[in-house]
Amino acid sequence: MLPLLELRERVKNFYQRYDMYLLPVIKFIFALVVFCLINKDIGYDARLKSLPIVLGISLLSAFTPSAVMVLLATIISVLHVYFISPILSIMIIAILMILYLLFIRYTPKLGYVLLAIPILFQLKIPYMLPILLGLVSTPVAMIPTSCGVIIYFLFQIIKNAVTMQNNISIEDILQLYTYVVDSLIGNRQMIMTIVIFSLIIMATYFIRKMSFNYAFEISILAGGLLSILGFLISYLILNRADQILSMIIGSIVSAGLVYIIHFFKLTLDYSRVEHATFEDDVYYYYVKAVPKATVTISEVNIRHYNVKNSKAREFSDPDTDESDIYNFEEDNDN
Amino acid sequence: MLNFKKIRLMTKLAVYEKKEGKEDIYLSKYYKTDYVRFQVLKSILSATVGYGLILGMIALYKMEYLIKNAVTLNYKSLGTYILGFYIMTITVYGLGSLVYYSMKYDASRKKLARYFKLLKRLEKLYNDSAQES
Repeated sequence: MLPLLELRERVKNFYQRYDMYLLPVIKFIFALVVFCLINKDIGYDARLKSLPIVLGISLLSAFTPSAVMVLLATIISVLHVYFISPILSIMIIAILMILYLLFIRYTPKLGYVLLAIPILFQLKIPYMLPILLGLVSTPVAMIPTSCGVIIYFLFQIIKNAVTMQNNISIEDILQLYTYVVDSLIGNRQMIMTIVIFSLIIMATYFIRKMSFNYAFEISILAGGLLSILGFLISYLILNRADQILSMIIGSIVSAGLVYIIHFFKLTLDYSRVEHATFEDDVYYYYVKAVPKATVTISEVNIRHYNVKNSKAREFSDPDTDESDIYNFEEDNDN
Repeated sequence: MLNFKKIRLMTKLAVYEKKEGKEDIYLSKYYKTDYVRFQVLKSILSATVGYGLILGMIALYKMEYLIKNAVTLNYKSLGTYILGFYIMTITVYGLGSLVYYSMKYDASRKKLARYFKLLKRLEKLYNDSAQES
């Protein structure tokens, strides 16, 4: 365990040092993967698949908030479908509008989930997201997760419908439309996936909230087990035994990935470096505020009680008196 | 000379203003009733548009049936159904957003109170240093 903890410390230090450059790079790679997967899956329009465009939009999403990337991915997907069938793209827009107006607009901070679910489905590890959301979010995350599942299955149906579509007459359009709606509403696999994902989020969330040792680890385990069991049942009902093996492997890999994220998250989250700029009448300040993450909680307490100790003085600034340290602690507790 | 006490306070304030405080400060420009009413209206409007879209999709789906029975359809009961579901939908969305946005406003006020406490402390620091010099 010790080498791992050391590694974590090293990663954390590296991150604190270079976070200004690291974050856009990570986002760029993530965006590149997202757009490449979209192009691979529904890349009908060759123009959008060209390297300069893919690199350009990835670069754009690296320096903008994550909502922009979600929007760009949606636009790209719709454009791809529009290239081959304008009617289908209108249907997609209508369904996305309904999802947005009725559900998604109430969870603006979880917008990335919508994008992540279809992408993770492509990578065969969608089970990862509900476990992770149960850990870091609240059961509200069920809403965007369900919408993400719907979007993924919608595009699967669209992929089938594209092959059906031939010359365009009013009859054909209606037929195409009924096909899409029928297969979306009558999609039992989609409904089961939504139910199972919601259950996983609930289970991991409530187990995580319980107060016993290793609650986090056990909740990850429970999420993984629940996903294996749930999808096992659903695949057996749906007669899709061929997918069971990949599902079990995917679930185990997902649980492992979530564990790794959880392992690093604790430090990375608390070590969020803040950059602030402000001024007073004399100076401009460019402050980089680094949280004292190396001090574990128990040690903070020790520091708190031994304020008169010389070691405590190391931590405090030369210009502050002891009462200020107390104030500072009090502010952090709030 | 650098005043570390002041820098620390200002850093805290700046970080808050940049991140979570952005929304709190924006909310503080509204009265609670105004803010909640505006949000509820927005929710109802978006629910209305969403409902209309769903209705349109259902109508398109049942197009053949609708055209065939255009003369014999009982428009009165159909209209009642549509209106009834509409009223249910906007009630749910309206009440839901009323509760949600009221809670959100109160929470942001609480956070803002802490922010103002720090601001006051900073002001006091400024006054003290001004008296010294």
